[in-house]
Amino acid sequence: MITAAGLEFRNVTKSFGAVKALAGVSLTVHAGDAHALVGENGAGKSTLLKILAGIVQPDAGEVRWNGERLHLGSPREGLERGIGMVYQEMLCFPNLTVAGNIFAGRELIARGGWLRVGDMRARTRAILDELHLAIDPAAPAESLSAAHRQLLQVARALAFECRILVLDEPTTSLTDAEADHLFAVLEKLKARGVTLLYVSHRLPEVFRLCDRISVLRDGHHVETVDRRGVAPERIVRAMVGRELPPRSARETSAEAPVRLELSSLSRRPCFQNVSLSVRTGEIVGLFGLVGAGRSELLETIFGLHAPDAGEIRLDGRVITPRSPVAAARAGIALVPEERQRQGLFFNLTVRDNLVLPDRTLRGDALVRADRERDEARALVERWRIKTAGVEVLPDHLSGGNQQKVVLAKWLATSPRVLLLDEPTKGVDVGAKFEIHEIIRREAARGIACLVASSDLPEVLALSDRIIVMRAGRVQGEIDAAGATEESVMHLATSLERAS
Amino acid sequence: MKRLWQIRELSTVVILALEIAFFTWWLWPEAGRTHPFFNGENALLILKYSSIYAIAAIGAAIVIISGGIDLAPGAVMALTGVIGSNLFVVHGWSLAASMTVGVATGLATGLLSATLIVAAPLPPFIATLGMMGIARGAAFIITEGQYFDVSSRLLGGWRPFGVPADWVAPIVMIVLAIIFQVLMTGFQWGRAVFSVGGNETAALFSGIAVNRVKFSVYAIAGLLAGVSGVVLVLVQGQGKADLANGYELDIIASAVVGGASLSGGRGSVIGAVLGTLIFGVLRNALPQIPGATFYDRLIVGVVVIAIVVMDQTLLKKRV
Repeated sequence: MITAAGLEFRNVTKSFGAVKALAGVSLTVHAGDAHALVGENGAGKSTLLKILAGIVQPDAGEVRWNGERLHLGSPREGLERGIGMVYQEMLCFPNLTVAGNIFAGRELIARGGWLRVGDMRARTRAILDELHLAIDPAAPAESLSAAHRQLLQVARALAFECRILVLDEPTTSLTDAEADHLFAVLEKLKARGVTLLYVSHRLPEVFRLCDRISVLRDGHHVETVDRRGVAPERIVRAMVGRELPPRSARETSAEAPVRLELSSLSRRPCFQNVSLSVRTGEIVGLFGLVGAGRSELLETIFGLHAPDAGEIRLDGRVITPRSPVAAARAGIALVPEERQRQGLFFNLTVRDNLVLPDRTLRGDALVRADRERDEARALVERWRIKTAGVEVLPDHLSGGNQQKVVLAKWLATSPRVLLLDEPTKGVDVGAKFEIHEIIRREAARGIACLVASSDLPEVLALSDRIIVMRAGRVQGEIDAAGATEESVMHLATSLERAS
Repeated sequence: MKRLWQIRELSTVVILALEIAFFTWWLWPEAGRTHPFFNGENALLILKYSSIYAIAAIGAAIVIISGGIDLAPGAVMALTGVIGSNLFVVHGWSLAASMTVGVATGLATGLLSATLIVAAPLPPFIATLGMMGIARGAAFIITEGQYFDVSSRLLGGWRPFGVPADWVAPIVMIVLAIIFQVLMTGFQWGRAVFSVGGNETAALFSGIAVNRVKFSVYAIAGLLAGVSGVVLVLVQGQGKADLANGYELDIIASAVVGGASLSGGRGSVIGAVLGTLIFGVLRNALPQIPGATFYDRLIVGVVVIAIVVMDQTLLKKRV
């Protein structure tokens, strides 16, 4: 069995146009291992996974499973060979039932083409029991929580009796408790001999679950190390290829004038009685678990929803933004949570994307392409956005650089208040650091920043003050200097435990 | 991106040129006789009849780029043609006044669809499907089965502004095509249409007045369908309720053949106009081929599919 080395990538090469996504990657995943694949966005992880799943064909090189060469033409073939994928973006059919999702594309069919709904439900029941999931197989998938939908994908892979389970950033939208459940399930699968290939930015997860860790950088395989006897810092260094500068301390100014003030702002059932203030040049972290009402709060300040009650004051004046345009004219900018859905236009160039809010606010009639190109180039240079030019479409950019485009397009409007919703979600370590630097620099220039994040280390590292929300209410406020992960988490969850 | 459009429009031009070359070769006459297809008079004829579709197709392309769909143009053309010709023939209004009212009717239908889509809000497919029925029905109510003979009142060398009558439709079409091409590529409004079609949510989050953009798009489509309807009665010389029956699908097909993506965010005005010319040449040349008359619709259908499939394969290779 040692010769049949599990899953082998041999010299896998893939280019997209001029971009070399994978430059001869060779690595081996031992059968039965939990193997982590880490690297910054754009390092080539996704491409490698897509090749494994049969979505993308490599230009050169091969993939072998237990010594046998895999020729995968489609994701379906991958599934039939025992390769199950759990994607980051949670592919599920919200309109189908749980059982329908699990058997989608491979329904059990009786003679005459009838669906064997009962059998499928029973099989689903068995799989869900095995995973200790209290889900009704007949429930529609849209009624499930994010975590359960994620686990549904695991269940789907199990229904296909997969021997390799590939997970791509599976915990991105899960709370800690939900992630714990996922890990418990994965541990069980590992014990059953399923090979796990786990892709994540979150090193604590990787260290918790995986036996071996492979690092990719810029399409190259940097190293594969054993989890035991390696420190997380070393992995980060290998991923980034440089030392990360230490967290920069910031001067907090308690005397600076209040720029943004919310008093008893409510929008039921999302949030109630929210009062908070952000001073000029201050970064206030808004921490809470998923569903705490943070996104809705930011969107309400940005004029996307009307509040039921309460006031928003900007530099002491009451404002009632009825639309994003009105909010943006008043000097409020929102960098939304989902850059793919809410932030970017994939049919327009990077230039269009970068200048659109500014030009919309100015109310210009004409598109002056030359001037815009110069401005866009300046923004790309200033915020160090890695792109082949300003006239390319944003889908050629890595996640971190896409996020910088969304950030840059709003900073180009010179806002007075910058609202950020999960600013580094799905962004690699290097870009995360750069985005934090951008936020700090803009705050130092006097912008009031309100940062909603469920990434606790990020909130602690970035904020001058931390406001904790739970179930639509402000639970408390902590000065960043005295805050610890425990104290913040305690506020975010304490009521839940009490009730 | 801009380069991509140019290439896309170029490929439509190439298809058109190949098509013209093919029919020129196929219909090559015996020595000494004039070519039945490749001659100036026929070219003007093609241009004149294509203009009817092309003017409405400009609006259809803009609607499709914004991520919507307009099923009403055929019926709206009938209604505006009927109203214009009724005022002109029955009520003795001046040509200019009656046709202006016709165009205004088109705008009114557009405003109504726009209101339904933005304020109700109804899906564009449903709102314009309803509008299609309302406009066609109104045309039948007005005509009560009659037709209004415009041509008999236009006899005696109708030359608006000294332009020969045959040239009116192509000139109107070319002017409108240039205006809207420039609006779509050189103005913030056009970019807003592209952004709404590409990602409506992101447009909202970027401060674009999404509803205003959508409203403007359907109003313009109605207006242009109105112009098309008026041009149609002037070209055909008759106002009746079953005018332009089924044109909406030809118009949408032209926009798509010209590069518009039904999922929004992609397409061009010039492309849509070129698309109508591709069909205009087909409709003109096929009846001249003995026995091909009955294949007309079938060939049009095959051409739509072939061109879009080709476009998608090319696009995949390009990216």
